[in-house]
Amino acid sequence: MRDLVRYLLNRFAWMLVTVWLVYTVSFVLMRSVPGNPFSSERNVPPAIERQLRARYNLDAPILVQYVQYATGILTRGDLGWCIRLEDYSVNRVLAEGFPVSASLAILGLVFAIGLGIPAGVVSAVYRGSASDNAMMGAAVLGIAIPNFVLASLAILLFVFIIPLFPAGGWGTLRQVALPAICLGAPVAAYIARLTRAGMLEVLTREHVRTAFAKGLPKRTVMLKHVLPGAMLPVVSYLGPATAGVLTGSLVLEKIFAIPGMGSHFIAAALQRDYTLAMGMVLTYTVILFVMNTLVDVSYAVIDPRVKLN
Amino acid sequence: MPANLTKTDGSQATSADGRVLAQLLAESKSIRGVSLWQDAWRRLRKRKTATISLVGLATLCLLAILTPLIPLQSPIDKDLRNRRLQPPELKSASLGNRSGLEFKDGSLVAELGLFEAETEKMTSELALETDAAKRTMLRKVIEDRAIVEHPFNQLWYKLDPLAWQMCKLRVATFGDYAIPSVFGTDSLGRDLLARVFWGVRVSLVVGLVATMVSLVIGVSYGAVAGYVGGWLDAMMMRLVDTLYSIPFIFVVIFLITFLGEDSVKQRLDSVGINQLMIFYLVIGAIYWLTMSRVVRGQVLSLRNEQFIEAARTVGAGPARIIFRHLVPNVLGVVIVYLTLTIPSVMLFEAFLSFLGLGVSPPDVSLGLLLNDGVEALSSVKIFWWVVVFPGATLALTLFALNFLGDGVRDALDPKLKNRE
Amino acid sequence: MAPEVRRLFLIVAAVTVMVAVGWASLFETTPPAQFSLQSGTDPKTLDPARATGNIEGRVLYELFEGLLQMLPAGEPDPETGLQALTPQPGMAESFELSSDKRRYTFHLRDNIRWTDGTPVTSDDFAWSWQRLLHPATACEYTFHLYGLPYAQAYNEGTVEVGDRVEVELWDRPGETPTSPANVKHYPRGTIRYGTLKEIRKPPEPTEQEKSRDESVELDWQDGWVYVVDVVEPRADESIDWDASATTMTFTSKTNSPVADTDSERTHGVLVAFDKLGSVETPDAKTLIVNLTDPIPYFPNIVAFYPLFPVNRNCVETHGSPMWTNVENIVTNGPYRLNMRRLRDRVRLVKNDDYYAADKVSLESVDFLSLEGQNTALNMYETGQIDWVTSPPESLLDELKKRKDFYNAPQLSVYFYRLNVERPPLDNPLVRRAIAMAIDRQEIVDEVTKTGQIPAYTAVPPGLAGYQSAVGFKEDVGEAKRLLVEAGFPGGRGIPKLTILYNTLEGHRAIAEVIQQQLQNNLNIGVELQNMEWGSFLDKVQQFDYQIARAGWIADYPDPNTFLDMWVSGGPQNNTHWSNKKYDQLIADAAKEGDPAKRLLILRDAEQIWVDEMPVIPLYFYTSINLVKPNVKGFFPSSQDLHPLQLLRFENDDAKGKP
Repeated sequence: MRDLVRYLLNRFAWMLVTVWLVYTVSFVLMRSVPGNPFSSERNVPPAIERQLRARYNLDAPILVQYVQYATGILTRGDLGWCIRLEDYSVNRVLAEGFPVSASLAILGLVFAIGLGIPAGVVSAVYRGSASDNAMMGAAVLGIAIPNFVLASLAILLFVFIIPLFPAGGWGTLRQVALPAICLGAPVAAYIARLTRAGMLEVLTREHVRTAFAKGLPKRTVMLKHVLPGAMLPVVSYLGPATAGVLTGSLVLEKIFAIPGMGSHFIAAALQRDYTLAMGMVLTYTVILFVMNTLVDVSYAVIDPRVKLN
Repeated sequence: MPANLTKTDGSQATSADGRVLAQLLAESKSIRGVSLWQDAWRRLRKRKTATISLVGLATLCLLAILTPLIPLQSPIDKDLRNRRLQPPELKSASLGNRSGLEFKDGSLVAELGLFEAETEKMTSELALETDAAKRTMLRKVIEDRAIVEHPFNQLWYKLDPLAWQMCKLRVATFGDYAIPSVFGTDSLGRDLLARVFWGVRVSLVVGLVATMVSLVIGVSYGAVAGYVGGWLDAMMMRLVDTLYSIPFIFVVIFLITFLGEDSVKQRLDSVGINQLMIFYLVIGAIYWLTMSRVVRGQVLSLRNEQFIEAARTVGAGPARIIFRHLVPNVLGVVIVYLTLTIPSVMLFEAFLSFLGLGVSPPDVSLGLLLNDGVEALSSVKIFWWVVVFPGATLALTLFALNFLGDGVRDALDPKLKNRE
Repeated sequence: MAPEVRRLFLIVAAVTVMVAVGWASLFETTPPAQFSLQSGTDPKTLDPARATGNIEGRVLYELFEGLLQMLPAGEPDPETGLQALTPQPGMAESFELSSDKRRYTFHLRDNIRWTDGTPVTSDDFAWSWQRLLHPATACEYTFHLYGLPYAQAYNEGTVEVGDRVEVELWDRPGETPTSPANVKHYPRGTIRYGTLKEIRKPPEPTEQEKSRDESVELDWQDGWVYVVDVVEPRADESIDWDASATTMTFTSKTNSPVADTDSERTHGVLVAFDKLGSVETPDAKTLIVNLTDPIPYFPNIVAFYPLFPVNRNCVETHGSPMWTNVENIVTNGPYRLNMRRLRDRVRLVKNDDYYAADKVSLESVDFLSLEGQNTALNMYETGQIDWVTSPPESLLDELKKRKDFYNAPQLSVYFYRLNVERPPLDNPLVRRAIAMAIDRQEIVDEVTKTGQIPAYTAVPPGLAGYQSAVGFKEDVGEAKRLLVEAGFPGGRGIPKLTILYNTLEGHRAIAEVIQQQLQNNLNIGVELQNMEWGSFLDKVQQFDYQIARAGWIADYPDPNTFLDMWVSGGPQNNTHWSNKKYDQLIADAAKEGDPAKRLLILRDAEQIWVDEMPVIPLYFYTSINLVKPNVKGFFPSSQDLHPLQLLRFENDDAKGKP
């Protein structure tokens, strides 16, 4: 238990370093990219542009901006006001968008795990059978089709040809289901493949042979001895999977008109909305870091040979 | 003589041994040593899906390289008036017959003939011209004409010299003939088959080059970290962990907008780097992380092996050990990982195209085609061919890469040896 | 790790996952509004002074109401189906125009209230317009008020010795003389009035220093010290400028080398706009506006949303931008704000206190933030929304056959700016050659597809009484000849040109077609470069382009809106093009009192523009909308305005949705 705590503290320290690094890099990148957040179709007189810059403290020397903004985040948790969506503070954008994106991501991941692992197990158990080939074919297809194509096809199929789901929006389970499935599909495909490969690998091990030799029923051996061992690669994939789901949600939120925060991510970066972009990139960094840490911890939990260090 | 005798004796004495030796040698020759690679290759060929995938990919690459030679229609010539969103058809096509091109007789060959005849005429004028100033002027006109007014410019965009020659060869061989629009046409009246071919060319190059970039960075980084070990390893791997947590799309967006900036672009152009290359570099630069982890793991387990010890004892330096002894031994894993990275890169290219950050027209990539295709998918009317053909091409390519990856992994896995 | 810890961890993990899933499946469901429409992206702001786009405009026209409002007049045009909208009584029930056409007297209605219950008064308008003009509000649409005396000087913060000025002291809430500024930009600090006697300036930075960083000059201006003869306002807040005065000095930078020790810190010294009679409020129901020039389209401007009133109490209490929050905002239009969520919707509900509430039929309206064109169409087809404002281009061929498709000419133009300082575009012959070699008919027939009109002039047709200048003719032969004349026979010698456009499918398609046409017709090789809107604008404004796509939508139905942008150094010019005669004609037109003469002068100016071709006009837009057939009261209009208060469902209580 103590090493776990020490490990978590250590990781937390690293997270701060990472966040600081990301903060610095983004800060420099954003300000070195040409274009400024106040570009508008009508040129404004310099005096007025200055007023605008003053409103966001952009008239201060770069180093002062760097320090003051960081101080604001650290002491008050205040990410500032959005520059483009000027009625909103970054905190409020995050507060509105995060729960939606998180729900979508969780449901997508749950769907992926719920579909991927059983499919992988069945494939491995009935290796070489028609169902194995079909499932693995479907899995590769899931990996090989870009999600915006998949989503468009799914809308056509499940909204218009077979009217099961509404075309877009957020609020009811029916509205959420289709985007969550589209989001989870490629992840499910990966998980199925990993599970299958892991199962096949474990099946060749001595302890499994022993278990079979002892005459344990196949079902017991598979679920108790093979599956846990096969879960290792799946668990380690969950870190990248989170990153994948977050990226995927950027696209799906747009296609399904979902009020998540993913769509702000790209827009903020493209529109030089310094504050919102910074808020987004820091949030995503923290999410990814936490997920990666969780994956490492679960890894150690599942496999006693792995030590946390 | 005695000496001679003894010698013969000796030879006689050893001749029996020699026979045995020769026999042994002959026997050993008949037992063919099987290296890991040969073995893997043999086993790879046994797997049907992997073989098909390999053959398919090789064909695809070949076709992509030879695209200018294939009698395709023009990938950029838009026939807006007559051929917007035409479904697949088998009506034969001919190059240069769109009236807007104003080619002589509606034929590229005829126009080319005309163009060359004119150039010929000017060249002969040049030969007769005596005034030096006029000569240089005329010569410049001829040179400029060859670049600016050549009919190829109307049908292909920015051909590189090799592709230019290939196009010439193609026109010489096939004349005006072009494969009918079996894939249909897109919303601006361009032949989709040609666009898919030229798109595959770009997408494959993006996938391969970006993967190579990631390979070089990842393998060197991972090998160095794994071999040197200690605090350097710890630091390097911490850095990788840290980078893992950075949302890279963000960085990519910034880099692409930053590097696409005119002033920066001109500076890069002056050293011969174009936008597409930047694209590869940027993508490659973010896909090396996993590669470096995998390689490091492998190197860690190999670095205490005897052959490394041996190399060290004979005085090989760390660089030599890493790149001559360790890297070749992790190649198997690397190849497997490559077959996984290329698909991700190609998908990432599609994703960027969806965001409007991909290659800029009239260059074309599969991602761009798919993005156009999705636009044409709606409840009101479905122009299925615009999405199905590019989509199927991408999916089949990635399919093949995945199966090949599986095949290579199994083939290289010593545990699976002799089990099939 | 001990086995029990592992087990505990697994249990915790399982519970966490279950809780997370449970939480993720709990949704806050919002019942749909009675009427929903596709609004595009999120409105940037709900502050009418700060807003600029048509997305914001659509919401603001319903939330707020100006002195006048645009409402249908007469019958729709039988040919195009276009319904004319004219400025009609809004908050003002009538107005009078003096005989010299420079003085408007507006009479406000009796029963007009803010949503907080207080009456709307003429002071609200005077205050809101002053706020719009104040430099600290930093609004873009201020130039609409430049017809009022002193407005431009006030907005740009320019003062001269002898001006009657206002001085805002550094005492806004939360400010001390040494603290940074309170940038909530309203409420303002204490105001002192007086006559500017002298401006003391520190040593001016050299041109070299100025060119290195534009803030150098502004910093230097901050150090100016203003010597003002301050007078005390009368009890009724009016000013007697000739009363006995105290001389005081003010500066923004108290450490300025030319400041006195007792110089007071100020936010700035501005012309005393509100005390100089541009806008008069003799009583709560009367608003008098005095104009410098007779502006025939002034009623249209009054009906434009930047001039809508905002509630002073609300803005001063909450500050900007917090006053626009749902819980704070106070409005005066037919609808009030009920809900606002990013990337989701702006929900408006009927304002029962509105003076004409009985004529408003729709009880609640959702402005949905739908960026994807296919997404919006899908939702329309499945009955989730009733009005699509931008249908997908690829389907227009199909959609335009339908009855619910509304398509009509719009007062706006799509064009390519040319940077006339970049060779070879500095040569008018080359510019004309390029303009002539583009086949516009092909573009409007096959790319934009909804009856757009090819453009050969600057001003779209359909403006009453205006006859456009003689445009050029498309002629490839002539274009080739012009190129020879310009010294580029056969297109040889022309460097590669780049067309810059902002990232959008439609712009890309047009640019690709033009790329092909120029290559085919003139052998001019063209590269395309797309950029996101912000960077795109930045490049255009810094003249870092050769050819750049642009569009212009009429702010008011008058040719002036399409022509005055091209004056030398104009803020929207962005081409480096400059023609003295043109500038003079535009200035003359503004002063001309006779409407017919004025239009003739504008026509002469347009002719110069066509001959010089600093810009290549491509086509005049059409508005395209898809509206459910059971919605009545929808008609196309030339500025694409569709007041929601006119819409109703055919069968009043039937919603049209399950």
